[in-house]
Amino acid sequence: MILVNYIACIILIVLGFYVILTKKNILKIIIGMGLIDYGINLLIISIGFNPGGTAPIFTFTELKPESFFVDPVPQALTLTSIVIGACVTAMALSLVIKIKEKYGTLDADKVRRLNG
Amino acid sequence: MVVLKYLFNVLVFPGLLFSALVGLLLSGLDRKVVARMQKRIGPPIIQPIYDFFKLLGKETIVPRAASRRTFLYAPVIGLLALVTVTLFIPIYKYTAISTVADIIVILYLLTIPAVALIMGGAASGSPYAGVGISREMVAIISYELPLVIVLLTIGKHVGMALNKGVITFSLSQIVSYQAEFGPMITNWRLIPAALALLLIIPIKVGSLPFDIAEAEIEICEGPLVEYSGAPLAIFKLNHAIKMFIMTSLFVTLFLSGKGTGILILDIVLQVLLSAVIVVISISTLKAITARLKVEQVLKFFWTYPTALALISLILVWIGR
Amino acid sequence: MQHFPILSIVTLFLGAFLTVIFGSKNETVRKFIALVASSISLILVLMLIKPVMIKNNVIQYWLGNWRPIHDWAIGIGLEVDALGLFFGIIAVLTIFLSIIFSFKYTKKDSETDKYYVLFLMLSGAVLGLVFTGDLFNMFVMIEIMTFAAVGLTAFRNYQEGALEAAFKYLVLGSIGSSMVLAGTITIYSQVHTLNMAQISALLFNNLTPSALFAFALLLAGFSLKAFVVPFHPAAPDAYMSAPSSVSMAFSGMVNKAGVYAIIRLVYVLFHAMDFKSVQILLIIIGTITMFIGVTMALAQNDFKRLLAFHSISQIGYVITAVGVSTALGLTAGLYHALNHTLFKGLLFLTAGAIFYATGTTDLNKLGGLARKMPQTAAIFLIGAFSISGLPPFNGFVSKWLVYQATFQANLAPVTIIALLVSVMTLASFIKVAQSIFFGQMPKEFENVKEVPLSMRIPMWIMAILCVITGVLPNIVTKYLVSPAVTAALNIGKYIDLMMGNGYSEKILGKPIEIPAVDFTLAGYWDPIAWLVLFALLLIAVTIVAVAGGFNAVSLPTEVDDPKYDVFFSGEASEHSHVKGNDLFWGLKHDLRHYFGFMHDAHSGIINDYALWAIFTTTIFIVYIFLLVP
Repeated sequence: MILVNYIACIILIVLGFYVILTKKNILKIIIGMGLIDYGINLLIISIGFNPGGTAPIFTFTELKPESFFVDPVPQALTLTSIVIGACVTAMALSLVIKIKEKYGTLDADKVRRLNG
Repeated sequence: MVVLKYLFNVLVFPGLLFSALVGLLLSGLDRKVVARMQKRIGPPIIQPIYDFFKLLGKETIVPRAASRRTFLYAPVIGLLALVTVTLFIPIYKYTAISTVADIIVILYLLTIPAVALIMGGAASGSPYAGVGISREMVAIISYELPLVIVLLTIGKHVGMALNKGVITFSLSQIVSYQAEFGPMITNWRLIPAALALLLIIPIKVGSLPFDIAEAEIEICEGPLVEYSGAPLAIFKLNHAIKMFIMTSLFVTLFLSGKGTGILILDIVLQVLLSAVIVVISISTLKAITARLKVEQVLKFFWTYPTALALISLILVWIGR
Repeated sequence: MQHFPILSIVTLFLGAFLTVIFGSKNETVRKFIALVASSISLILVLMLIKPVMIKNNVIQYWLGNWRPIHDWAIGIGLEVDALGLFFGIIAVLTIFLSIIFSFKYTKKDSETDKYYVLFLMLSGAVLGLVFTGDLFNMFVMIEIMTFAAVGLTAFRNYQEGALEAAFKYLVLGSIGSSMVLAGTITIYSQVHTLNMAQISALLFNNLTPSALFAFALLLAGFSLKAFVVPFHPAAPDAYMSAPSSVSMAFSGMVNKAGVYAIIRLVYVLFHAMDFKSVQILLIIIGTITMFIGVTMALAQNDFKRLLAFHSISQIGYVITAVGVSTALGLTAGLYHALNHTLFKGLLFLTAGAIFYATGTTDLNKLGGLARKMPQTAAIFLIGAFSISGLPPFNGFVSKWLVYQATFQANLAPVTIIALLVSVMTLASFIKVAQSIFFGQMPKEFENVKEVPLSMRIPMWIMAILCVITGVLPNIVTKYLVSPAVTAALNIGKYIDLMMGNGYSEKILGKPIEIPAVDFTLAGYWDPIAWLVLFALLLIAVTIVAVAGGFNAVSLPTEVDDPKYDVFFSGEASEHSHVKGNDLFWGLKHDLRHYFGFMHDAHSGIINDYALWAIFTTTIFIVYIFLLVP
């Protein structure tokens, strides 16, 4: 329950949406997609936090009923999500390379041959 | 025994022979009345029967650019659908087949002849036919909306009285409602719906002022331009049977009732009332109006008949 | 039996990996691997029909054998109930037929090994999505599906617009997946578990504001995957640019995965279908989708783009029927989903055949192909009459059930709009038939031949299935659709498997009985109808024989006589084919303000499309906070 974290991730997500909605250069749109992903990753980590808990790494003998650790599941989810974010960015960038070769421009107002 | 009875129903009465005969007579009557209204003498009433037999004797020419099988089968499929519809329309107390959902069957079977005309026109490969089928499709879009609303209105009205509030789709139930309470047209709530249906009949039958599909002067007969001989005869027969079905449907929905009890007199009464409706809705409009343009047809049908039918629907809905 | 679901998913992924290793040089090896993988999946899923649908079990499988401890789930579980299996059957049938079609279809493409890899991954992801019982696993499968779909959309990158369509799909799909992830995390913070059965049990009567927020986000995210209207603009671009066997998979599987996720979300996870406001929301979205889909489709000039807009419109039917939330409505929705896969897949394969034979799908350039490709024309007509709802094909049965369901729920305006949409669907397919198959043939298509046999077989199989599901609705409903409806409305069995028997009865009460669907209101199928039909067919054959239709000798057309030319009012005949833009100009003129507005709104700029998506999500969030208690 860290208020600063939550406010930070809301700001990141809203900024990401703002970039996707208003910027015309395709590369900036990809950066906006990345911002949304990182904002959500921060949200995932912050949800699993228990104040005063330690890292959830124990051997069998150390684990007692009164051990208090942060939730390990969101950390696994965050790892998956970071990997997915990296893959999305890679695919988007490869598409941008081919678009630049074919259309000659990176302006979203001109990459619009399919419309109506 | 049952097989023979159904074959009799399909082939003689009320199937192929009866509806063909009455349909051709009605279309002849229509031509005669229009001619008299225009101070001419006009052809004899049995002229369409002569036309039908004349066309059967002519040569069938299939143009080079046509797709043969679709071209030849299209009119026959239209005829099949129409003959099936005639089996479902009750003549006072008599029906050949009565199911619990007559109106739905009739509604979907009635789109098939229009689609058959479109397919026949498309298969003929002529540009006049291409323009004609696009106009026919616009006509179908125009009349489908008010027609559905009218049928829903009547079904809901009868259902609220006889079917515990659930909408009914059975024509025999509608006839028995009218036998009990008098013809539907005497109910003031349903008069707008009757007016809407009177306006829908000309466009469904394809007569002025709404016959944009077969506009003789503008597009040389439209989808039928390449037809000749026996297929053309079947299309003209379809046109005549459609006239009989639509007016008979109007009579059953709005002017039906107890009848006389004797089958032959009932049939004569139904045919006479159909003839009256033909004169009122088809001939009168044909004699005094010119053809509308394509855009005007769509605008007309989606405003006036739809508004009339919706007024009826709202009156029926809040009337209980 | 327990292992069949996971085996069917893993076979497809394994097929993808084996194609990378062994298939990159040899054409036959990679086709063989693809065929074997999809057939094994098909057989395994079909063998699951008997235990799950007929005997009403729910199959559960824990990955890695991590069973729950003290009734708390710690591993990822697959739970296959009748609803999931229904969509699984649809998916696996589409995969199999699409792979057979793509053997010859990708003949002229280079690097088809990457095509098969991506396609098998797409298939595995869709099957994983419908069979899984874990919410985060659903998110991962959605992501795999989006990647594979983007890769396949951009596959023919020499084609006009393929790259930009893939980019738009990627950006919009990424926004959708982010919303799904945000919703999942918000739910997790509430109940601390990710297993769907457990979430359903813990959220019963327990809807806190954060659960409502998660519901809105998940609904928006899944609606974007299903391409419901304000989220739809990436769909026509993507369906148009992808190769046709892939477009068939998109409209057959990927759309349905979104619909399945919405049903699972609203019916099972949140028990939200008892709230009138959620029903109204789904019905409004569904109706708008239906109407905008079909009116945009009337004005298109490219065959595949027209088909894509029709896909969107038919999904509107499904969402409306699901939103009515009675047993009849849900039956109508699921039956229409099955029918949509069949006839829309058929139409996309026809588009693929036309593209293979002529090299273009532009309606303004084709014409008169029915004489050269008669089988394709017949199959196209079957598909077109199915989608318009003419009897005796399958579209009529499911559309009639939708009309009945909405009219019995006192929603007369929705019924009227649905009927109008059906007529306009017929109009746009008449336009396509006249533009492509009938009429006069341009000179450059003289040498067009019928497509090869391996492309025709999947088309005929789908056409026969269209007719069968139309003629035998009772059997299809009893064995396939009603178990799925029961599984969606009575989630007791689904929860019991996790929380121990008897838990759901205490919480939810007795299970709801599903009455058998009565088809007599459709005016359908009693023995009298068969007799009448037989008599009528006798008349038909006689008439055609009399008209000389069977005897080619009596109607010669190869003779070079001017009476067999097309009538041109006495002038010289030239090529003047009425097609494409020329048709329906009256209708387009009447509604020109509406069409102009819609054409400008679909501007092709990605920022606009993202604006629609985010605006609609905001409306969902505000609506659900205000109206759902």
